[in-house]
Amino acid sequence: MLARVANNLFWMGRYIERSEHVARFLRVNYFSSLDAPDELSQSRQFVLRSIMYMSANEIIDSDIILEEEEVLYNVGLNIDSPYSIVNGFINAHENARSARDLISTELFEAVNRVKHAIKGYPVEKLVKSQLYDFTTIVSNATSDIKSKIQSTLLHDEVYAIIMLGINIERGLQVARIINSKVSDASTVKKIYGDLVDGNYQWVTLLKCVLAYDMMRRSYKKAPERTNTLEFLILNAKCPRSIKNSLNQMNKYICMISKQHEKPVNSAAFLIGKMTSQFKYKLIEEIDDNLEEFTAELIDKLANIAVKLEEDYFDISHTLDVKAKA
Amino acid sequence: MKDPLNLPLFSSYEFDSRFYDELFAKRDDIRGIYKTLFELFGTYSVSEFNRLNIQAKDSFFNSGITFQVYGENEVNEKIFPFDLFPRIIDHEEWETIETGVLQRSKALNLFLWDVYHDQKIIKQGIVPKSLIDSSVNFLPEMINFDPPEGVYNHISGTDLIKHSDGQYYVLEDNIRCPSGVSYVIGNRGAVKHALFGVFNQYKTHTVVNYGSKLLETMQSVKPTGVDNPVCVILTPGVYNSAYYEHCFLAKQMGILLVEGRDLFVENDFVYMKTIYGIEKVDVIYRRVDDLYIDPLVFKADSLLGVPGLFSVYLKGNVALVNAPGTGVADDKAIYTYMPEIIKYYLDEDPILNNVHTYHCSRKNELNYVLENIDKLVVKPVDESGGYGISIGNKLTKDEIEKVKENIKKDPRKYIAQPIMSLSTHPTYIDDNESFESRHVDLRTFTLLGKDINFVLKGGLTRVALKKGNLVVNSSQGGGSKDTWVLKK
Repeated sequence: MLARVANNLFWMGRYIERSEHVARFLRVNYFSSLDAPDELSQSRQFVLRSIMYMSANEIIDSDIILEEEEVLYNVGLNIDSPYSIVNGFINAHENARSARDLISTELFEAVNRVKHAIKGYPVEKLVKSQLYDFTTIVSNATSDIKSKIQSTLLHDEVYAIIMLGINIERGLQVARIINSKVSDASTVKKIYGDLVDGNYQWVTLLKCVLAYDMMRRSYKKAPERTNTLEFLILNAKCPRSIKNSLNQMNKYICMISKQHEKPVNSAAFLIGKMTSQFKYKLIEEIDDNLEEFTAELIDKLANIAVKLEEDYFDISHTLDVKAKA
Repeated sequence: MKDPLNLPLFSSYEFDSRFYDELFAKRDDIRGIYKTLFELFGTYSVSEFNRLNIQAKDSFFNSGITFQVYGENEVNEKIFPFDLFPRIIDHEEWETIETGVLQRSKALNLFLWDVYHDQKIIKQGIVPKSLIDSSVNFLPEMINFDPPEGVYNHISGTDLIKHSDGQYYVLEDNIRCPSGVSYVIGNRGAVKHALFGVFNQYKTHTVVNYGSKLLETMQSVKPTGVDNPVCVILTPGVYNSAYYEHCFLAKQMGILLVEGRDLFVENDFVYMKTIYGIEKVDVIYRRVDDLYIDPLVFKADSLLGVPGLFSVYLKGNVALVNAPGTGVADDKAIYTYMPEIIKYYLDEDPILNNVHTYHCSRKNELNYVLENIDKLVVKPVDESGGYGISIGNKLTKDEIEKVKENIKKDPRKYIAQPIMSLSTHPTYIDDNESFESRHVDLRTFTLLGKDINFVLKGGLTRVALKKGNLVVNSSQGGGSKDTWVLKK
């Protein structure tokens, strides 16, 4: 596989996963807030800030009043905002186009269809009445695309590269969602103490990651801070946990990496190291310094992405450089 | 059968006896091979047909069989207009076409060899030396070079029309990077889905074997000493208007689609950059024009090519498909000499007719052209895509003067031909919700390799969508039709 095309496939996976998470966060946060148990959680400004924090990684000053329609437009359909869902699909499509000869016809057509559908979605509908419809289209479309990835591609290095992109982005997005909701929960707690329905923010967090039902089945208890974080970070059976994302990354990098010995500081080495560190991690080690933990996690995942680029996607090398490597 | 022209879908069909109508032999007489197809179309109501038409267009759009149009602020994707009423060619007629285009491709290949070696045809005074020397597509760098297996034009696209006399004439031979075969296969898919009932009633040759034959052709011209050649397609990139076709062909052949930046030259070989390091490349079907393939030899500012590629080619370590410099033979001035070229190299009479052509570099013919522009089509010899063509009877007096001035400035650049009566074919016109007659041509695709002579049994029927227009090129707003070649 060409190095340039591998990069395209990696980013196609990342953009698809990113769009899915942003759309789900938007939907779950917005609609669950409508009948939230406390006034702050119901407040439009609070919800819109949370949405901007997660999707754009932007902390909005408290003296700035956000316009709901503007936020929905920017996160959903504004081509000029780099974090928008529509941009995610445009980028995924461009990347798929560059690798069209390598991916299945069915996969390309699924990406192509959704890009057209999202790009043509009426702004008026999204910002005034059909946020649910829009985000559902995105969720169904990403689900369709992933099913095509799973079932219409050879499970070879092309597949492994896309899955690496999906899983690295999943780890990053889940970490950002945790950051955002933990921050919301702390703000609510500061104002209301433990008097209000303490489960609300944790239920929302789980739903934002599509993990609520799984968590209830696993713990058979109401979600609270510790068990929610433990489930989302350390439960290897939960397909959306950080630990699972790392395990998947490790599996796919092993498919790609032909070397049994992983050179220190290579992407394969860093993924393996991180996976091992997570194997015996306890939530108690994380919970006290959660903010630091997620910041470090995001840094490490970003660094792995850079290393992947150096190890596999670099197109600047020539015969000599490769021979030396 | 009802009066065909009273059927709703054909109510505004104007049968014009000046042209060969592919469907109607006479005003109320449907040609035999079209009867079954016509009966099916006769059963459709306008709304039913509209639905099929929209479905077919949507399927092209959703499948990404599109080309890109650049507006001021954004890129728009458009589908190459497609008409659901297929063109049918019976086996006898096809046999003439097939042997005819193959004959031309072989003759052109021998001509290219000669032009870049002994130039016997020039020395014997059959083709003037000045035509070769003055051709912008002649590459002196190719002189005395022997391409693998002696093949230059591995892929040829021959454009044919059917004149009012019912005979096929060749309009031009395209042997640089002829486009359109992906639409042949795409159109077939769309028609099969939409008209599956009727399709079963026609024994039609398949067109899906093109990819396998193309790969076989590429592999057959591998460099000496290579057992299992690594073949790739070189594309200018995603913004090229034919990018869809490049992807399509790579996918059909299961080979990689590369850009110039994916390749590099070292130690006299071409390599590509993969995730596991470098891999040698042996055969390149390049869809990048000659002058852009190697900035060290041709256009120094080209970012589309690969520095050093041409020297590797000359050393025989990589095969290029089509060979650089083939353009000298599809120059429209050389076309004038095709009957002589065929006779000289193959000792055969041409199977397909040439359109009588006046070459403006010949004084007598120049005078005739200047005096009769209103009756002629004037074409630049080195353009493609329908650019620069002037159709005499559509020009105003001022425009005629302008064309004359251009010809006088550079007579070598122009040829002229009588205005041919391209045959017409029923074509669905969305705005009027009915079929109308429109002019069509046919592009065939021929492959030449080591022991391979293949003509795709089908082709791209191009339609001039504007009423009365004779220019069918997609770049001039033309559309296309599926083309069925019937089995014996």
